[in-house]
Amino acid sequence: MGGQRSDRVDLERGLGRLLTTGTYLTVVLVGLGVAGMVLGGRSPLEPGVPPFDPARLPADLAAGRAEGYLWLGIVVAISTPAARVAAALLGYAGRGERTMVAVSAAVLAVIALGVLLALGTG
Amino acid sequence: MEVTLVLAAGGVAAGLFGALLGLGGGILIVPLLTLGFGLPVREAVGVSLVCVIVTSGAAAGVYLQRHVANLRLGMVLELFSAIGALAGGFAAFLLPEPALAGLFALLLVYTAASMLRHGRRDVGEAPLADGALIPDPAMPVPPPAWQGTLSGPGYRVQRLGAGMAGSVGAGALSALLGVGGGIVKVPVMHLAMGVPLRVATATSNLMMGVTASASAIIYLFRGGIDPLVAGPTALGVFLGASIGSRTAGRVDARILRALFVLVLLYTAVEMARRALGLA
Repeated sequence: MGGQRSDRVDLERGLGRLLTTGTYLTVVLVGLGVAGMVLGGRSPLEPGVPPFDPARLPADLAAGRAEGYLWLGIVVAISTPAARVAAALLGYAGRGERTMVAVSAAVLAVIALGVLLALGTG
Repeated sequence: MEVTLVLAAGGVAAGLFGALLGLGGGILIVPLLTLGFGLPVREAVGVSLVCVIVTSGAAAGVYLQRHVANLRLGMVLELFSAIGALAGGFAAFLLPEPALAGLFALLLVYTAASMLRHGRRDVGEAPLADGALIPDPAMPVPPPAWQGTLSGPGYRVQRLGAGMAGSVGAGALSALLGVGGGIVKVPVMHLAMGVPLRVATATSNLMMGVTASASAIIYLFRGGIDPLVAGPTALGVFLGASIGSRTAGRVDARILRALFVLVLLYTAVEMARRALGLA
Protein backbone atom coordinates (compact mmCIF):
# COMPACT_ATOMS: atom_id res chain seq x y z
CA MET A 1 0.00 0.00 0.00
CA GLY A 2 2.74 2.40 1.04
CA GLY A 3 4.75 1.29 -1.98
CA GLN A 4 1.80 2.05 -4.25
CA ARG A 5 1.47 5.55 -2.81
CA SER A 6 5.19 6.12 -3.20
CA ASP A 7 4.95 4.98 -6.85
CA ARG A 8 2.09 7.40 -7.46
CA VAL A 9 4.01 10.26 -5.86
CA ASP A 10 7.11 9.46 -7.93
CA LEU A 11 5.08 9.27 -11.15
CA GLU A 12 3.35 12.60 -10.52
CA ARG A 13 6.61 14.25 -9.56
CA GLY A 14 8.29 12.95 -12.72
CA LEU A 15 5.42 14.08 -14.94
CA GLY A 16 5.43 17.49 -13.25
CA ARG A 17 9.14 17.86 -13.96
CA LEU A 18 8.58 16.85 -17.58
CA LEU A 19 5.92 19.55 -18.03
CA THR A 20 8.06 22.19 -16.35
CA THR A 21 11.12 21.28 -18.44
CA GLY A 22 9.09 21.33 -21.67
CA THR A 23 7.64 24.73 -20.78
CA TYR A 24 11.03 26.27 -19.99
CA LEU A 25 12.55 24.78 -23.15
CA THR A 26 9.68 26.38 -25.11
CA VAL A 27 10.29 29.75 -23.45
CA VAL A 28 14.04 29.59 -24.23
CA LEU A 29 13.48 28.66 -27.90
CA VAL A 30 10.72 31.24 -28.40
CA GLY A 31 12.89 33.80 -26.58
CA LEU A 32 15.74 33.14 -29.04
CA GLY A 33 13.30 33.54 -31.91
CA VAL A 34 11.94 36.84 -30.57
CA ALA A 35 15.50 38.09 -29.99
CA GLY A 36 16.23 37.21 -33.62
CA MET A 37 13.12 39.13 -34.71
CA VAL A 38 14.16 42.23 -32.77
CA LEU A 39 17.78 42.11 -33.95
CA GLY A 40 16.67 41.54 -37.53
CA GLY A 41 14.18 44.42 -37.39
CA ARG A 42 11.26 42.11 -38.24
CA SER A 43 7.68 43.07 -37.52
CA PRO A 44 5.19 40.50 -36.17
CA LEU A 45 2.66 41.87 -38.64
CA GLU A 46 4.79 41.45 -41.77
CA PRO A 47 2.93 39.59 -44.51
CA GLY A 48 4.04 36.45 -46.29
CA VAL A 49 5.39 34.37 -43.40
CA PRO A 50 5.45 30.80 -44.77
CA PRO A 51 3.32 28.22 -42.95
CA PHE A 52 4.88 25.49 -40.83
CA ASP A 53 7.01 23.11 -42.89
CA PRO A 54 8.94 20.49 -40.88
CA ALA A 55 11.31 19.92 -43.81
CA ARG A 56 12.51 23.56 -43.66
CA LEU A 57 13.13 23.54 -39.92
CA PRO A 58 16.74 22.22 -39.91
CA ALA A 59 17.82 24.72 -42.57
CA ASP A 60 16.14 27.64 -40.75
CA LEU A 61 17.81 26.63 -37.48
CA ALA A 62 21.20 26.18 -39.12
CA ALA A 63 20.92 29.63 -40.71
CA GLY A 64 19.87 31.14 -37.35
CA ARG A 65 16.58 32.43 -38.78
CA ALA A 66 14.03 33.63 -36.22
CA GLU A 67 11.26 31.49 -37.75
CA GLY A 68 13.30 28.34 -37.08
CA TYR A 69 13.52 28.96 -33.34
CA LEU A 70 9.92 30.16 -33.12
CA TRP A 71 8.55 27.11 -34.96
CA LEU A 72 10.70 24.74 -32.90
CA GLY A 73 9.50 26.41 -29.69
CA ILE A 74 5.88 26.08 -30.81
CA VAL A 75 6.39 22.41 -31.73
CA VAL A 76 8.00 21.71 -28.34
CA ALA A 77 5.07 23.46 -26.62
CA ILE A 78 2.48 21.44 -28.54
CA SER A 79 4.39 18.16 -28.05
CA THR A 80 4.99 18.53 -24.30
CA PRO A 81 1.47 17.52 -23.16
CA ALA A 82 1.58 14.46 -25.45
CA ALA A 83 4.99 13.57 -24.02
CA ARG A 84 3.43 13.78 -20.55
CA VAL A 85 0.69 11.34 -21.59
CA ALA A 86 3.27 8.96 -23.14
CA ALA A 87 5.36 9.06 -19.95
CA ALA A 88 2.23 8.39 -17.87
CA LEU A 89 1.44 5.40 -20.09
CA LEU A 90 4.89 3.95 -19.41
CA GLY A 91 4.52 4.65 -15.69
CA TYR A 92 1.13 2.96 -15.47
CA ALA A 93 2.36 0.04 -17.60
CA GLY A 94 5.23 -0.48 -15.15
CA ARG A 95 2.71 -0.67 -12.30
CA GLY A 96 0.37 -3.00 -14.19
CA GLU A 97 -2.56 -0.55 -14.20
CA ARG A 98 -4.25 -1.75 -17.34
CA THR A 99 -7.22 0.64 -17.26
CA MET A 100 -4.98 3.71 -17.04
CA VAL A 101 -2.69 2.30 -19.73
CA ALA A 102 -5.74 2.00 -22.00
CA VAL A 103 -6.86 5.54 -21.13
CA SER A 104 -3.37 6.94 -21.85
CA ALA A 105 -3.18 5.04 -25.14
CA ALA A 106 -6.61 6.32 -26.14
CA VAL A 107 -5.56 9.95 -25.45
CA LEU A 108 -2.44 9.45 -27.58
CA ALA A 109 -4.57 7.86 -30.31
CA VAL A 110 -6.86 10.92 -30.41
CA ILE A 111 -3.83 13.23 -30.70
CA ALA A 112 -2.35 11.03 -33.45
CA LEU A 113 -5.69 11.06 -35.27
CA GLY A 114 -5.61 14.86 -35.12
CA VAL A 115 -2.13 14.91 -36.69
CA LEU A 116 -3.16 12.48 -39.45
CA LEU A 117 -6.39 14.36 -40.23
CA ALA A 118 -4.62 17.73 -40.18
CA LEU A 119 -1.91 16.44 -42.53
CA GLY A 120 -4.49 14.82 -44.77
CA THR A 121 -6.72 17.88 -45.05
CA GLY A 122 -4.18 20.69 -44.59
CA MET B 1 10.64 46.38 -32.98
CA GLU B 2 7.92 48.64 -31.53
CA VAL B 3 5.15 46.28 -32.63
CA THR B 4 7.03 43.31 -31.12
CA LEU B 5 7.31 45.11 -27.79
CA VAL B 6 3.68 46.29 -27.85
CA LEU B 7 2.56 42.73 -28.62
CA ALA B 8 4.70 41.33 -25.80
CA ALA B 9 3.40 44.04 -23.43
CA GLY B 10 -0.18 43.12 -24.38
CA GLY B 11 0.67 39.50 -23.64
CA VAL B 12 2.10 40.48 -20.24
CA ALA B 13 -1.11 42.38 -19.42
CA ALA B 14 -3.30 39.45 -20.53
CA GLY B 15 -1.24 36.94 -18.52
CA LEU B 16 -1.08 39.22 -15.46
CA PHE B 17 -4.81 40.00 -15.32
CA GLY B 18 -5.66 36.40 -16.12
CA ALA B 19 -3.55 35.11 -13.24
CA LEU B 20 -4.78 37.79 -10.79
CA LEU B 21 -8.41 37.00 -11.55
CA GLY B 22 -8.10 33.23 -11.84
CA LEU B 23 -8.83 33.23 -15.58
CA GLY B 24 -6.67 31.87 -18.36
CA GLY B 25 -5.09 34.46 -20.64
CA GLY B 26 -7.00 33.20 -23.69
CA ILE B 27 -10.11 35.22 -22.98
CA LEU B 28 -8.01 38.38 -23.40
CA ILE B 29 -5.51 37.35 -26.07
CA VAL B 30 -8.03 36.77 -28.87
CA PRO B 31 -9.67 40.22 -28.47
CA LEU B 32 -6.22 41.80 -28.08
CA LEU B 33 -5.00 40.33 -31.37
CA THR B 34 -8.22 40.83 -33.34
CA LEU B 35 -9.32 44.25 -32.07
CA GLY B 36 -5.85 45.62 -31.26
CA PHE B 37 -3.75 44.26 -34.11
CA GLY B 38 -6.35 43.48 -36.77
CA LEU B 39 -5.64 39.74 -36.98
CA PRO B 40 -8.37 37.42 -38.28
CA VAL B 41 -10.18 35.68 -35.39
CA ARG B 42 -9.01 32.22 -36.51
CA GLU B 43 -5.35 33.27 -36.53
CA ALA B 44 -5.76 34.88 -33.10
CA VAL B 45 -7.29 31.64 -31.79
CA GLY B 46 -4.28 29.65 -33.09
CA VAL B 47 -1.85 32.00 -31.31
CA SER B 48 -3.98 31.93 -28.15
CA LEU B 49 -3.91 28.12 -28.06
CA VAL B 50 -0.09 28.20 -28.02
CA CYS B 51 -0.22 30.67 -25.12
CA VAL B 52 -2.72 28.46 -23.25
CA ILE B 53 -0.37 25.45 -23.59
CA VAL B 54 2.65 27.40 -22.32
CA THR B 55 0.92 28.93 -19.29
CA SER B 56 -1.01 25.81 -18.34
CA GLY B 57 2.15 23.68 -18.71
CA ALA B 58 4.04 25.77 -16.18
CA ALA B 59 1.16 25.73 -13.68
CA ALA B 60 0.27 22.05 -14.19
CA GLY B 61 3.91 21.04 -13.64
CA VAL B 62 3.84 22.68 -10.22
CA TYR B 63 0.38 21.29 -9.36
CA LEU B 64 1.54 17.74 -10.20
CA GLN B 65 4.74 18.02 -8.20
CA ARG B 66 2.72 19.28 -5.22
CA HIS B 67 0.11 16.50 -5.76
CA VAL B 68 -2.79 18.97 -5.96
CA ALA B 69 -4.05 17.85 -9.39
CA ASN B 70 -5.89 14.53 -9.71
CA LEU B 71 -3.84 12.88 -12.47
CA ARG B 72 -6.05 9.83 -13.01
CA LEU B 73 -9.27 11.83 -13.22
CA GLY B 74 -7.57 14.41 -15.43
CA MET B 75 -6.39 11.74 -17.85
CA VAL B 76 -9.83 10.14 -18.12
CA LEU B 77 -11.53 13.50 -18.72
CA GLU B 78 -8.86 14.80 -21.12
CA LEU B 79 -9.63 11.88 -23.41
CA PHE B 80 -13.07 13.46 -23.89
CA SER B 81 -11.84 17.06 -23.98
CA ALA B 82 -9.33 16.05 -26.68
CA ILE B 83 -12.16 14.50 -28.75
CA GLY B 84 -14.13 17.75 -28.36
CA ALA B 85 -11.04 19.75 -29.29
CA LEU B 86 -10.50 17.70 -32.43
CA ALA B 87 -14.08 18.29 -33.55
CA GLY B 88 -13.92 21.98 -32.57
CA GLY B 89 -10.59 22.47 -34.34
CA PHE B 90 -11.99 21.28 -37.66
CA ALA B 91 -15.26 23.16 -37.12
CA ALA B 92 -13.25 26.38 -36.61
CA PHE B 93 -12.01 26.12 -40.21
CA LEU B 94 -15.54 25.61 -41.51
CA LEU B 95 -17.24 28.45 -39.63
CA PRO B 96 -17.12 31.96 -41.11
CA GLU B 97 -15.12 34.63 -39.24
CA PRO B 98 -18.22 36.62 -38.12
CA ALA B 99 -19.64 33.47 -36.51
CA LEU B 100 -16.42 32.95 -34.52
CA ALA B 101 -16.44 36.62 -33.46
CA GLY B 102 -20.09 36.30 -32.43
CA LEU B 103 -19.40 33.17 -30.38
CA PHE B 104 -16.50 34.91 -28.69
CA ALA B 105 -18.73 37.88 -27.82
CA LEU B 106 -21.17 35.46 -26.15
CA LEU B 107 -18.32 33.82 -24.22
CA LEU B 108 -17.17 37.24 -22.98
CA VAL B 109 -20.68 38.11 -21.77
CA TYR B 110 -20.98 34.71 -20.04
CA THR B 111 -17.59 35.17 -18.35
CA ALA B 112 -18.51 38.69 -17.19
CA ALA B 113 -21.83 37.39 -15.82
CA SER B 114 -20.05 34.52 -14.02
CA MET B 115 -17.62 36.95 -12.43
CA LEU B 116 -20.43 39.22 -11.28
CA ARG B 117 -22.49 36.32 -9.92
CA HIS B 118 -19.94 34.28 -8.10
CA GLY B 119 -16.80 36.36 -7.93
CA ARG B 120 -13.36 34.94 -8.31
CA ARG B 121 -14.01 31.47 -6.94
CA ASP B 122 -16.34 30.45 -9.74
CA VAL B 123 -13.92 31.08 -12.58
CA GLY B 124 -10.80 29.50 -11.27
CA GLU B 125 -8.87 29.20 -8.11
CA ALA B 126 -10.31 29.09 -4.62
CA PRO B 127 -9.35 27.63 -1.34
CA LEU B 128 -11.65 24.78 -0.43
CA ALA B 129 -10.18 22.58 2.21
CA ASP B 130 -8.50 19.52 0.79
CA GLY B 131 -10.22 16.48 2.08
CA ALA B 132 -13.70 18.00 2.20
CA LEU B 133 -16.20 15.27 1.45
CA ILE B 134 -18.94 16.58 -0.82
CA PRO B 135 -22.26 15.03 0.19
CA ASP B 136 -24.39 13.79 -2.66
CA PRO B 137 -27.91 12.88 -1.53
CA ALA B 138 -29.05 12.51 -5.14
CA MET B 139 -26.84 9.52 -5.69
CA PRO B 140 -27.67 6.65 -3.34
CA VAL B 141 -26.07 3.97 -5.54
CA PRO B 142 -22.31 3.65 -5.05
CA PRO B 143 -20.26 4.28 -8.19
CA PRO B 144 -18.55 1.41 -10.04
CA ALA B 145 -15.33 0.15 -8.45
CA TRP B 146 -12.97 1.55 -11.10
CA GLN B 147 -14.58 4.97 -10.73
CA GLY B 148 -13.52 4.79 -7.09
CA THR B 149 -9.89 4.71 -8.19
CA LEU B 150 -10.38 8.20 -9.66
CA SER B 151 -11.30 9.65 -6.28
CA GLY B 152 -8.87 11.46 -4.03
CA PRO B 153 -8.23 11.80 -0.32
CA GLY B 154 -11.51 12.71 1.36
CA TYR B 155 -13.68 13.00 -1.72
CA ARG B 156 -15.43 10.57 -4.03
CA VAL B 157 -15.78 11.27 -7.74
CA GLN B 158 -19.42 11.12 -8.82
CA ARG B 159 -21.39 11.51 -12.05
CA LEU B 160 -18.50 10.68 -14.32
CA GLY B 161 -20.86 10.85 -17.32
CA ALA B 162 -21.53 14.53 -16.63
CA GLY B 163 -17.78 15.12 -16.43
CA MET B 164 -17.21 13.37 -19.75
CA ALA B 165 -19.96 15.37 -21.48
CA GLY B 166 -18.72 18.63 -19.96
CA SER B 167 -15.18 17.81 -21.09
CA VAL B 168 -16.27 17.28 -24.71
CA GLY B 169 -17.97 20.70 -24.57
CA ALA B 170 -14.97 22.35 -22.94
CA GLY B 171 -12.66 20.86 -25.57
CA ALA B 172 -14.80 22.13 -28.44
CA LEU B 173 -15.03 25.59 -26.84
CA SER B 174 -11.26 25.67 -26.36
CA ALA B 175 -10.59 24.74 -29.98
CA LEU B 176 -13.15 27.15 -31.44
CA LEU B 177 -12.27 30.18 -29.34
CA GLY B 178 -8.69 29.65 -28.13
CA VAL B 179 -9.47 29.50 -24.41
CA GLY B 180 -8.46 26.93 -21.81
CA GLY B 181 -12.03 25.81 -21.13
CA GLY B 182 -11.64 26.03 -17.35
CA ILE B 183 -14.83 28.09 -17.20
CA VAL B 184 -16.71 24.88 -18.11
CA LYS B 185 -14.49 22.18 -16.58
CA VAL B 186 -14.03 23.66 -13.10
CA PRO B 187 -17.77 24.09 -12.34
CA VAL B 188 -18.57 20.64 -13.81
CA MET B 189 -15.90 18.90 -11.72
CA HIS B 190 -16.70 20.83 -8.58
CA LEU B 191 -20.50 21.09 -8.66
CA ALA B 192 -21.49 17.94 -10.57
CA MET B 193 -18.66 15.54 -9.72
CA GLY B 194 -17.96 16.50 -6.12
CA VAL B 195 -14.29 17.36 -6.61
CA PRO B 196 -12.94 20.01 -4.18
CA LEU B 197 -12.52 23.35 -5.97
CA ARG B 198 -8.76 23.56 -5.51
CA VAL B 199 -8.30 20.06 -6.97
CA ALA B 200 -10.77 20.83 -9.78
CA THR B 201 -8.84 23.97 -10.72
CA ALA B 202 -5.50 22.14 -10.72
CA THR B 203 -6.91 19.17 -12.66
CA SER B 204 -8.53 21.48 -15.21
CA ASN B 205 -5.14 23.17 -15.67
CA LEU B 206 -3.51 19.79 -16.24
CA MET B 207 -6.11 18.91 -18.89
CA MET B 208 -5.69 22.20 -20.76
CA GLY B 209 -2.33 21.16 -22.24
CA VAL B 210 -3.63 18.03 -24.00
CA THR B 211 -6.91 19.73 -24.95
CA ALA B 212 -5.23 22.78 -26.47
CA SER B 213 -2.51 20.78 -28.21
CA ALA B 214 -5.08 18.44 -29.83
CA SER B 215 -6.54 21.45 -31.64
CA ALA B 216 -3.32 23.47 -31.97
CA ILE B 217 -1.98 20.66 -34.18
CA ILE B 218 -4.83 21.33 -36.62
CA TYR B 219 -4.13 25.08 -36.59
CA LEU B 220 -0.39 24.40 -37.03
CA PHE B 221 -0.73 22.21 -40.11
CA ARG B 222 -3.50 24.31 -41.66
CA GLY B 223 -1.55 27.58 -41.48
CA GLY B 224 -3.54 28.96 -38.55
CA ILE B 225 -0.53 29.94 -36.43
CA ASP B 226 1.74 32.89 -37.27
CA PRO B 227 5.07 32.31 -35.48
CA LEU B 228 6.04 36.00 -35.55
CA VAL B 229 2.85 36.88 -33.64
CA ALA B 230 2.81 33.78 -31.43
CA GLY B 231 6.42 34.26 -30.21
CA PRO B 232 6.21 37.71 -28.55
CA THR B 233 2.64 37.07 -27.33
CA ALA B 234 3.48 33.72 -25.70
CA LEU B 235 6.58 35.17 -24.03
CA GLY B 236 4.56 38.10 -22.71
CA VAL B 237 1.74 35.90 -21.42
CA PHE B 238 4.21 33.56 -19.71
CA LEU B 239 5.94 36.50 -18.01
CA GLY B 240 2.64 38.15 -17.01
CA ALA B 241 1.18 34.91 -15.64
CA SER B 242 4.38 34.27 -13.64
CA ILE B 243 4.22 37.74 -12.07
CA GLY B 244 0.46 37.45 -11.50
CA SER B 245 0.65 34.09 -9.74
CA ARG B 246 3.28 35.48 -7.33
CA THR B 247 1.35 38.68 -6.54
CA ALA B 248 -2.22 37.35 -6.59
CA GLY B 249 -2.45 37.12 -2.78
CA ARG B 250 -1.34 40.73 -2.29
CA VAL B 251 -3.81 42.42 -4.62
CA ASP B 252 -7.39 43.34 -3.70
CA ALA B 253 -9.18 41.54 -6.49
CA ARG B 254 -12.58 43.15 -5.90
CA ILE B 255 -11.83 46.48 -7.62
CA LEU B 256 -9.78 44.68 -10.25
CA ARG B 257 -12.68 42.32 -10.91
CA ALA B 258 -15.20 45.16 -11.28
CA LEU B 259 -12.87 46.90 -13.72
CA PHE B 260 -12.31 43.66 -15.57
CA VAL B 261 -16.04 43.02 -15.97
CA LEU B 262 -16.32 46.42 -17.68
CA VAL B 263 -13.39 45.53 -19.97
CA LEU B 264 -15.02 42.18 -20.82
CA LEU B 265 -18.36 43.82 -21.62
CA TYR B 266 -16.73 46.55 -23.75
CA THR B 267 -14.73 43.85 -25.59
CA ALA B 268 -17.92 41.80 -26.08
CA VAL B 269 -19.59 44.80 -27.74
CA GLU B 270 -16.58 45.31 -30.03
CA MET B 271 -16.50 41.60 -30.96
CA ALA B 272 -20.25 41.67 -31.62
CA ARG B 273 -19.75 44.72 -33.88
CA ARG B 274 -17.09 42.77 -35.73
CA ALA B 275 -19.43 39.79 -36.05
CA LEU B 276 -22.11 42.06 -37.54
CA GLY B 277 -19.63 43.67 -39.92
CA LEU B 278 -19.85 47.06 -38.18
CA ALA B 279 -16.19 47.23 -37.12
